[in-house]
Amino acid sequence: MLKGVAQALDSWLVDENVAAVAEGLPRHPACTIHVLGQTALFEAELPLRLAATRDVDVRADYDDATRREFARLLARQGRELDPLGDEIWMPRGTRYAELFLGKLVRVLLAEPEAVLVSKALKAPTKNQPLLTEYLAHGPSERFLALARKHALDLEQFV
Amino acid sequence: MNELDDLRQRAKRRLLGLERRAKDPRFEQVMGRFVREGLLVVNHDVREHAEPLRIDDVLWAGTVEPRILELLPALIVKRPSMFVGVASLPADLDEAVEALRRDREPETFRGIAGKDVHRWLRRVGRKDKAPSRLKSFRFTSDDQRLLQHLVKALGLSETDVVRRGLRALT
Repeated sequence: MLKGVAQALDSWLVDENVAAVAEGLPRHPACTIHVLGQTALFEAELPLRLAATRDVDVRADYDDATRREFARLLARQGRELDPLGDEIWMPRGTRYAELFLGKLVRVLLAEPEAVLVSKALKAPTKNQPLLTEYLAHGPSERFLALARKHALDLEQFV
Repeated sequence: MNELDDLRQRAKRRLLGLERRAKDPRFEQVMGRFVREGLLVVNHDVREHAEPLRIDDVLWAGTVEPRILELLPALIVKRPSMFVGVASLPADLDEAVEALRRDREPETFRGIAGKDVHRWLRRVGRKDKAPSRLKSFRFTSDDQRLLQHLVKALGLSETDVVRRGLRALT
Protein backbone atom coordinates (compact mmCIF):
# COMPACT_ATOMS: atom_id res chain seq x y z
CA MET A 1 0.00 0.00 0.00
CA LEU A 2 2.64 2.48 1.09
CA LYS A 3 4.88 1.99 -1.93
CA GLY A 4 2.03 2.98 -4.23
CA VAL A 5 1.25 6.04 -2.11
CA ALA A 6 4.94 7.02 -2.11
CA GLN A 7 5.09 6.64 -5.90
CA ALA A 8 2.01 8.85 -6.31
CA LEU A 9 3.45 11.45 -3.91
CA ASP A 10 6.73 11.50 -5.80
CA SER A 11 4.95 12.03 -9.13
CA TRP A 12 2.85 14.80 -7.60
CA LEU A 13 5.93 16.55 -6.21
CA VAL A 14 7.75 16.36 -9.56
CA ASP A 15 4.70 17.80 -11.38
CA GLU A 16 4.28 20.54 -8.77
CA ASN A 17 7.94 21.52 -9.03
CA VAL A 18 7.85 21.62 -12.84
CA ALA A 19 4.87 23.96 -12.60
CA ALA A 20 6.58 26.01 -9.87
CA VAL A 21 9.70 26.53 -11.99
CA ALA A 22 7.60 27.61 -14.97
CA GLU A 23 5.81 30.17 -12.80
CA GLY A 24 8.95 31.34 -11.00
CA LEU A 25 7.70 30.05 -7.64
CA PRO A 26 9.74 28.22 -4.99
CA ARG A 27 9.95 24.44 -5.38
CA HIS A 28 8.94 21.89 -2.77
CA PRO A 29 12.00 20.33 -1.14
CA ALA A 30 12.77 16.61 -1.45
CA CYS A 31 11.64 14.70 1.62
CA THR A 32 12.32 11.58 3.65
CA ILE A 33 9.44 9.82 5.38
CA HIS A 34 10.25 7.50 8.28
CA VAL A 35 7.41 5.02 8.79
CA LEU A 36 6.86 3.96 12.39
CA GLY A 37 4.37 1.95 14.40
CA GLN A 38 2.02 -0.75 13.19
CA THR A 39 2.25 0.44 9.57
CA ALA A 40 5.96 -0.37 9.55
CA LEU A 41 5.14 -3.90 10.75
CA PHE A 42 2.52 -4.32 8.01
CA GLU A 43 4.90 -3.16 5.31
CA ALA A 44 7.67 -5.44 6.60
CA GLU A 45 5.36 -8.41 5.81
CA LEU A 46 6.15 -10.27 9.01
CA PRO A 47 4.67 -13.74 9.61
CA LEU A 48 2.44 -12.31 12.34
CA ARG A 49 -1.34 -11.82 12.42
CA LEU A 50 -1.59 -8.05 12.52
CA ALA A 51 -4.49 -5.75 13.17
CA ALA A 52 -4.17 -1.99 13.22
CA THR A 53 -6.27 1.09 13.48
CA ARG A 54 -6.27 3.07 10.25
CA ASP A 55 -3.81 5.73 11.38
CA VAL A 56 -0.35 5.90 9.87
CA ASP A 57 2.52 7.11 12.05
CA VAL A 58 5.44 8.80 10.36
CA ARG A 59 8.26 11.20 11.08
CA ALA A 60 9.01 13.29 8.01
CA ASP A 61 10.76 16.45 6.89
CA TYR A 62 8.28 17.44 4.16
CA ASP A 63 6.70 20.87 3.79
CA ASP A 64 3.07 21.42 4.68
CA ALA A 65 1.72 21.13 1.12
CA THR A 66 3.48 17.78 0.70
CA ARG A 67 2.12 16.60 4.06
CA ARG A 68 -1.41 17.48 2.97
CA GLU A 69 -1.00 15.62 -0.33
CA PHE A 70 0.43 12.61 1.52
CA ALA A 71 -2.56 12.66 3.88
CA ARG A 72 -4.93 12.87 0.91
CA LEU A 73 -3.29 9.93 -0.84
CA LEU A 74 -3.43 7.85 2.36
CA ALA A 75 -7.11 8.74 2.83
CA ARG A 76 -7.83 7.34 -0.65
CA GLN A 77 -6.52 4.03 0.69
CA GLY A 78 -8.77 4.27 3.75
CA ARG A 79 -5.85 5.29 5.97
CA GLU A 80 -5.30 8.40 8.06
CA LEU A 81 -2.08 10.29 8.67
CA ASP A 82 -1.75 10.58 12.45
CA PRO A 83 -1.05 14.23 13.32
CA LEU A 84 0.84 13.07 16.43
CA GLY A 85 2.73 10.26 14.68
CA ASP A 86 6.05 12.03 15.05
CA GLU A 87 5.70 11.90 18.84
CA ILE A 88 6.13 8.11 18.91
CA TRP A 89 9.08 7.04 20.99
CA MET A 90 11.57 4.85 19.14
CA PRO A 91 14.68 3.28 20.67
CA ARG A 92 17.87 5.23 20.06
CA GLY A 93 19.82 3.67 17.21
CA THR A 94 16.72 2.34 15.43
CA ARG A 95 17.66 1.15 11.96
CA TYR A 96 15.59 1.98 8.90
CA ALA A 97 15.22 0.02 5.67
CA GLU A 98 14.45 1.70 2.38
CA LEU A 99 10.97 0.94 1.05
CA PHE A 100 10.88 3.46 -1.77
CA LEU A 101 13.29 5.83 -3.47
CA GLY A 102 11.85 8.23 -6.00
CA LYS A 103 13.11 11.48 -7.50
CA LEU A 104 12.01 13.58 -4.54
CA VAL A 105 10.52 11.14 -2.03
CA ARG A 106 12.32 8.57 0.05
CA VAL A 107 10.39 6.24 2.38
CA LEU A 108 12.14 4.33 5.14
CA LEU A 109 10.64 1.63 7.37
CA ALA A 110 11.62 1.34 11.02
CA GLU A 111 13.06 -2.11 11.72
CA PRO A 112 10.39 -4.43 13.17
CA GLU A 113 12.41 -5.23 16.29
CA ALA A 114 12.62 -1.57 17.28
CA VAL A 115 8.89 -1.08 16.59
CA LEU A 116 8.05 -4.08 18.77
CA VAL A 117 10.25 -2.88 21.62
CA SER A 118 8.67 0.57 21.39
CA LYS A 119 5.19 -0.97 21.55
CA ALA A 120 6.11 -3.31 24.38
CA LEU A 121 7.51 -0.48 26.48
CA LYS A 122 4.96 2.23 25.77
CA ALA A 123 1.68 0.30 25.41
CA PRO A 124 2.15 -3.24 26.77
CA THR A 125 -1.54 -4.05 27.30
CA LYS A 126 -2.58 -2.99 23.84
CA ASN A 127 0.22 -4.96 22.26
CA GLN A 128 0.25 -8.03 24.49
CA PRO A 129 -1.15 -10.51 21.91
CA LEU A 130 1.25 -9.20 19.26
CA LEU A 131 4.28 -9.57 21.55
CA THR A 132 3.14 -13.03 22.68
CA GLU A 133 2.91 -14.18 19.07
CA TYR A 134 6.29 -12.67 18.23
CA LEU A 135 7.97 -14.35 21.20
CA ALA A 136 6.31 -17.68 20.33
CA HIS A 137 7.84 -17.54 16.85
CA GLY A 138 11.27 -16.96 18.35
CA PRO A 139 12.60 -13.45 18.95
CA SER A 140 15.64 -12.29 16.97
CA GLU A 141 18.99 -11.47 18.58
CA ARG A 142 18.43 -7.85 17.61
CA PHE A 143 15.11 -7.77 19.46
CA LEU A 144 16.62 -9.37 22.55
CA ALA A 145 19.51 -6.89 22.52
CA LEU A 146 17.12 -3.94 22.32
CA ALA A 147 14.92 -5.47 25.03
CA ARG A 148 17.92 -5.87 27.35
CA LYS A 149 19.16 -2.36 26.61
CA HIS A 150 15.78 -0.86 27.55
CA ALA A 151 15.10 -3.19 30.50
CA LEU A 152 11.97 -4.59 28.86
CA ASP A 153 10.25 -7.21 31.00
CA LEU A 154 9.30 -9.99 28.58
CA GLU A 155 7.61 -12.04 31.30
CA GLN A 156 4.48 -9.90 30.98
CA PHE A 157 3.85 -11.29 27.50
CA VAL A 158 4.06 -15.03 28.25
CA MET B 1 16.23 -25.89 28.43
CA ASN B 2 17.73 -22.41 28.51
CA GLU B 3 15.92 -19.26 29.58
CA LEU B 4 15.05 -18.19 26.04
CA ASP B 5 13.62 -21.60 25.09
CA ASP B 6 11.52 -21.56 28.25
CA LEU B 7 10.20 -18.09 27.41
CA ARG B 8 9.36 -19.22 23.88
CA GLN B 9 7.55 -22.33 25.10
CA ARG B 10 5.44 -20.32 27.50
CA ALA B 11 4.67 -17.79 24.74
CA LYS B 12 3.62 -20.68 22.50
CA ARG B 13 1.23 -21.99 25.13
CA ARG B 14 -0.30 -18.56 25.58
CA LEU B 15 -0.53 -18.10 21.82
CA LEU B 16 -2.50 -21.35 21.52
CA GLY B 17 -5.10 -19.89 23.86
CA LEU B 18 -5.22 -16.65 21.84
CA GLU B 19 -5.60 -18.57 18.57
CA ARG B 20 -8.42 -20.66 20.03
CA ARG B 21 -10.26 -17.51 21.12
CA ALA B 22 -9.62 -15.88 17.73
CA LYS B 23 -11.66 -18.70 16.12
CA ASP B 24 -14.64 -18.03 18.38
CA PRO B 25 -17.65 -16.73 16.38
CA ARG B 26 -17.94 -13.75 18.72
CA PHE B 27 -14.42 -12.61 17.86
CA GLU B 28 -14.92 -13.27 14.15
CA GLN B 29 -18.13 -11.21 14.09
CA VAL B 30 -16.63 -8.27 15.99
CA MET B 31 -13.50 -8.22 13.82
CA GLY B 32 -15.69 -8.65 10.73
CA ARG B 33 -17.71 -5.56 11.64
CA PHE B 34 -14.70 -3.42 12.60
CA VAL B 35 -12.91 -4.33 9.38
CA ARG B 36 -16.06 -3.73 7.31
CA GLU B 37 -16.36 -0.24 8.80
CA GLY B 38 -12.71 0.53 8.00
CA LEU B 39 -11.93 0.89 11.71
CA LEU B 40 -9.30 -1.84 11.69
CA VAL B 41 -7.04 -3.09 8.94
CA VAL B 42 -5.64 -6.63 9.03
CA ASN B 43 -3.10 -8.69 7.12
CA HIS B 44 -5.18 -11.87 7.17
CA ASP B 45 -8.59 -12.99 5.94
CA VAL B 46 -11.57 -11.72 7.90
CA ARG B 47 -15.17 -12.44 6.95
CA GLU B 48 -17.04 -9.14 7.00
CA HIS B 49 -20.04 -8.84 9.29
CA ALA B 50 -22.82 -6.26 8.94
CA GLU B 51 -25.08 -6.84 11.96
CA PRO B 52 -25.05 -4.80 15.19
CA LEU B 53 -22.74 -6.20 17.85
CA ARG B 54 -23.51 -7.11 21.45
CA ILE B 55 -21.45 -5.00 23.84
CA ASP B 56 -20.50 -8.10 25.85
CA ASP B 57 -19.15 -9.74 22.71
CA VAL B 58 -17.13 -6.64 21.82
CA LEU B 59 -15.63 -6.47 25.31
CA TRP B 60 -14.77 -10.16 25.12
CA ALA B 61 -13.22 -9.77 21.65
CA GLY B 62 -11.15 -6.93 23.07
CA THR B 63 -9.33 -9.42 25.28
CA VAL B 64 -8.01 -11.02 22.07
CA GLU B 65 -7.40 -7.80 20.10
CA PRO B 66 -7.11 -4.85 22.53
CA ARG B 67 -7.38 -2.26 19.73
CA ILE B 68 -11.10 -3.06 19.76
CA LEU B 69 -11.24 -1.71 23.33
CA GLU B 70 -9.37 1.43 22.28
CA LEU B 71 -12.09 2.24 19.72
CA LEU B 72 -15.18 1.03 21.59
CA PRO B 73 -16.01 4.03 23.86
CA ALA B 74 -15.75 6.54 21.00
CA LEU B 75 -17.87 4.30 18.78
CA ILE B 76 -20.60 4.08 21.42
CA VAL B 77 -20.69 7.90 21.47
CA LYS B 78 -20.43 8.49 17.72
CA ARG B 79 -21.78 5.28 16.14
CA PRO B 80 -24.20 3.76 18.68
CA SER B 81 -26.16 1.97 15.94
CA MET B 82 -23.21 -0.40 15.54
CA PHE B 83 -24.16 -2.00 18.86
CA VAL B 84 -27.03 -3.48 20.81
CA GLY B 85 -27.17 -3.07 24.59
CA VAL B 86 -25.68 0.42 24.84
CA ALA B 87 -28.38 1.39 27.37
CA SER B 88 -26.80 -0.73 30.11
CA LEU B 89 -23.03 -0.67 29.97
CA PRO B 90 -20.57 -2.14 32.49
CA ALA B 91 -19.49 0.53 34.98
CA ASP B 92 -15.96 1.06 33.64
CA LEU B 93 -17.17 1.34 30.04
CA ASP B 94 -19.98 3.66 31.09
CA GLU B 95 -17.45 5.91 32.85
CA ALA B 96 -15.25 6.03 29.76
CA VAL B 97 -18.24 6.83 27.53
CA GLU B 98 -19.51 9.55 29.88
CA ALA B 99 -16.06 11.16 29.94
CA LEU B 100 -16.01 11.21 26.13
CA ARG B 101 -19.51 12.69 26.01
CA ARG B 102 -18.02 15.61 27.99
CA ASP B 103 -15.03 15.63 25.63
CA ARG B 104 -12.76 14.63 28.53
CA GLU B 105 -9.95 12.11 28.66
CA PRO B 106 -11.23 9.03 30.53
CA GLU B 107 -9.30 7.00 33.07
CA THR B 108 -7.33 4.04 31.74
CA PHE B 109 -9.93 1.68 30.27
CA ARG B 110 -9.11 -2.02 30.64
CA GLY B 111 -5.41 -1.31 30.22
CA ILE B 112 -5.79 1.21 27.39
CA ALA B 113 -4.52 4.71 28.22
CA GLY B 114 -7.24 7.37 28.44
CA LYS B 115 -5.52 9.56 25.84
CA ASP B 116 -5.58 6.67 23.36
CA VAL B 117 -9.32 6.21 23.97
CA HIS B 118 -10.03 9.95 23.72
CA ARG B 119 -8.18 10.51 20.45
CA TRP B 120 -10.80 8.50 18.52
CA LEU B 121 -13.65 10.78 19.53
CA ARG B 122 -13.03 13.14 16.60
CA ARG B 123 -11.85 10.43 14.23
CA VAL B 124 -14.78 8.02 14.10
CA GLY B 125 -18.29 8.79 12.85
CA ARG B 126 -18.57 12.42 11.74
CA LYS B 127 -14.97 13.61 11.60
CA ASP B 128 -13.74 16.50 13.76
CA LYS B 129 -17.06 16.58 15.61
CA ALA B 130 -17.14 16.28 19.37
CA PRO B 131 -20.43 15.56 21.15
CA SER B 132 -22.53 18.56 22.16
CA ARG B 133 -24.69 18.86 25.28
CA LEU B 134 -28.09 20.44 25.78
CA LYS B 135 -28.07 23.63 27.87
CA SER B 136 -31.05 25.84 28.77
CA PHE B 137 -30.86 29.60 29.29
CA ARG B 138 -33.33 32.30 30.30
CA PHE B 139 -33.12 35.32 27.98
CA THR B 140 -34.86 38.66 28.43
CA SER B 141 -36.81 40.00 25.45
CA ASP B 142 -33.90 42.37 24.75
CA ASP B 143 -31.50 39.42 24.72
CA GLN B 144 -33.81 37.58 22.33
CA ARG B 145 -34.12 40.57 20.01
CA LEU B 146 -30.33 40.92 19.96
CA LEU B 147 -29.92 37.20 19.31
CA GLN B 148 -32.42 37.29 16.42
CA HIS B 149 -30.71 40.36 14.98
CA LEU B 150 -27.34 38.58 15.03
CA VAL B 151 -28.86 35.42 13.53
CA LYS B 152 -30.12 37.45 10.55
CA ALA B 153 -27.09 39.70 10.22
CA LEU B 154 -24.52 36.88 10.40
CA GLY B 155 -26.57 34.11 8.76
CA LEU B 156 -25.87 31.77 11.68
CA SER B 157 -27.98 29.58 13.94
CA GLU B 158 -28.73 30.81 17.46
CA THR B 159 -26.30 28.23 18.86
CA ASP B 160 -23.52 29.42 16.56
CA VAL B 161 -24.10 33.05 17.56
CA VAL B 162 -23.70 32.05 21.24
CA ARG B 163 -20.61 29.99 20.38
CA ARG B 164 -19.02 32.94 18.58
CA GLY B 165 -19.87 35.23 21.47
CA LEU B 166 -18.19 32.84 23.91
CA ARG B 167 -15.05 32.73 21.83
CA ALA B 168 -14.99 36.52 21.48
CA LEU B 169 -15.01 36.81 25.27
CA THR B 170 -12.16 34.32 25.88
